[in-house]
Order: sequence, then C-alpha cells, then structure tokens
Amino acid sequence: MTGLYTRWAFIVGASLLLAAMTYQHYQQDLSTLSVETLLKSQPASQPIRIQGMVKSGTLSGDVEQGEATFELVNEGTSIAVDYQGPPLENIRELKTLVLIGRWDPETKVFRAQDTALINNFGFVAAAYLVSVIPLFWVIFAMSQRVMVLFKEIKEEKLYEPEINPLADKE
Amino acid sequence: MINRFIRYIQRYKGWFGGAAAICIFLGLYIGLLASPPDYYQGELVRIMYVHVPLAHTSTLAYSVLFGGSIWYLWKRDPLVDNMCQASAGICALFTTLALITGSIWAKPTWNTWWTWDPRLVSFSVLLLILGGYLMLRKLVDDQERGGRYAAILAIVGGIDLPIIKFSVEWWRTLHQPMSFSTRGVSISDDILVPLTLMSIGCWLLFAYMVMVRTQILYLTDLLQAKKGRLLSQTHFSQTSP
Repeated sequence: MTGLYTRWAFIVGASLLLAAMTYQHYQQDLSTLSVETLLKSQPASQPIRIQGMVKSGTLSGDVEQGEATFELVNEGTSIAVDYQGPPLENIRELKTLVLIGRWDPETKVFRAQDTALINNFGFVAAAYLVSVIPLFWVIFAMSQRVMVLFKEIKEEKLYEPEINPLADKE
Repeated sequence: MINRFIRYIQRYKGWFGGAAAICIFLGLYIGLLASPPDYYQGELVRIMYVHVPLAHTSTLAYSVLFGGSIWYLWKRDPLVDNMCQASAGICALFTTLALITGSIWAKPTWNTWWTWDPRLVSFSVLLLILGGYLMLRKLVDDQERGGRYAAILAIVGGIDLPIIKFSVEWWRTLHQPMSFSTRGVSISDDILVPLTLMSIGCWLLFAYMVMVRTQILYLTDLLQAKKGRLLSQTHFSQTSP
C-alpha cells in the first residue's frame, strides 16, 4: 500500500505544481484589469490588458487603418483610449473588448496597441477539473481495490493446498 | 491467442501507466502553458486538449469492446469476457467526460450547453448502449449467459461507431468536420502537438485502466471462488457425522 500512496503523492504533487504554474501564467500574462482597478492602481510602466465596452457616441478615427479614439466604460467608470495598432476588424460602439497597451497617468489616456479575445478561463478551468479529477479518482480507486483484493485473497489463504474432505474420510 | 496476448501485456501494465502519465503531463504543460491561443476560439481552444482525446479514447474503448465481444462469442474465453466488461465501464467513463467537456466548450462557443446535433446525439447513444451493456451484466444472474447477451448487445451497438465518425459528413451539423481525413490534417502544428500527446496519453491510460480493471474482475472471481470453497468445506464439516 505504501508504494501506491507514494506513487499517487507524486502524481498529485505534479498536478498541483502544474496547476500553480498555469494559474500564475494566466494571472501574470493573460488576466485583464477592470477600468476601476486601472484608475486605482495607475500602473505606468508595464503593458496591461483591460476589458470594457466601447461607449456609445465616442468612437472616432480611421478604424480600418488601425487608428481610433474612444471611451472604454466598465461598471460605470470610463477612460479615454487612444488606439494605434493593427486594423480593428469588427470594432463598433457598445462592443466589449480586451485592449493591450500602457496607461499614461499624466494625460489619463490608455495607449492601446492591440486587442485580444475575451477570456473564458472559468470554462477552461471547469473542463480540466471535471475531466482530470474523476479520471484520477477512478484510477486511484481501482489501484486501491487491487491491493485490497490481494490482501483479502492472502487472508483467505487461497494459496494453501485445498484439503479434499472426501480423501480424509477414506 | 488473445488470452495469451492479454496475459502478456498484463505484465507490462506499469509501463503503460508510466508512459500515460508522462504523455499526459507533457501534453497538459504544452496545452496549458506553451501553446498559443486560437485566432477564433481564443483560450477556449485549450478545452479541446482534453475533450478530443477523451472522445477519441471512448471510441477506441468501444472498438475494443466490439472486437472482444466477437471473439468471446466465438471462443467463449472468460478472460476476454472480463476485458470486455472492463472496457465497457471505462468507455462509459470516457464517454461521459467527453460529453461534459464538450458541453462546457459549447456554452461560450455556441451559446448553449446542448444541441440536437447528429454528432452529439450519436455520441450520447453510445453512452446509452454502454449503460444497457453494464445493466445487462448486473441483471442476469448467470454470468456466462449475461456475458453472451451483453456481447450480442455490444456487437449490435457497434453500428453507432461509423455513425459517430461520419455524422459530421453525412448531415448538416454545428460540430466541426473531421480534422484527420484522406484530405489531410486541417489543424496547425501548435494545436496538433499537445492534442497528439494528450491523445496518446489517453490511449495508454485506457490500456492501463483496462488491465487493472480486468485484474480486479479476475481477482474478484478468484476471491468468490475461494469463499465458496471455504463455505462448502464448512458446510461439509458441519453436516458430516
């Protein structure tokens, strides 16, 4: 049994390590800030991703050439955005989008250089948890069952030669 | 022949389990951390790295059950019957997980958890067939007769396999068409690498699980036989003068 638990401790440890690395990667590189958090933290130097909706009546510029200015609104708070980057394929007013760029605290304008798809990490995490946990649990239960069966068989003294009661009578 | 093959690979089941673990962890690492998001699906493409291998493995598991059932009806080998029973249970697990992960992917992509799509329906029918198979094995008292009936059901149910495979070509469907066909491979290398690793990992894992489950069934039979023998001995010693 000790060997089984050691093996499984290693598997669970490796899974937790992978989960922690994935969580860290997504938090650092792919998670988005809300407009409110951006205004509170004022991160000036590093590139960030913010998510919000293009405010109605504020979109101007040559969208097909990749130049646009608009206001991005999120939960009632809005910021000015100056987009200079690849042509925006399907931007329109009231559209929710993720912008990648830097915050300029002096002019209070978000200088966006690119857009990204809205992330659905909850669905990805759910799919992995729903598939990996039951699968591992079933395999663990099966391995444990084999051990228990071997133990029971040993206790039943299966390997002892069978006594033939009829032979004894004779 | 199959009996000898099963006994032979039983000896190496630890290697199958180890190789499966390596492939799956490597596939998960590349799939979750190293591969880029898809242009259209974004990060949701990562669900494919579990959904597709699970679905592939469930069809592989049913193919094993189908072939094993034919062999069992022909040779009446109890070890092959045990392997079929093991494959059916594991196939049901993989099919359920494939349906659940597919549903989780469908919600943000198709905006629905479920749709009456031919691929989804034919795959769900597979789960129903497996449910019937496992129930039949439980409900029929005579193990040999139960095995025979279940084998017939598994063979009849095998008609669902080509329907699952070609449903995306035969009918108008929401589900994406085949990625691997005679026309070639229609997915990029960035997605293909983790997908292949995870698929190989799941196939090896299935092989490992079948071997362990077959062993459980064999040991359970052995224990029952032993207990039965002890019981008959006790009965004999109590009733004899």
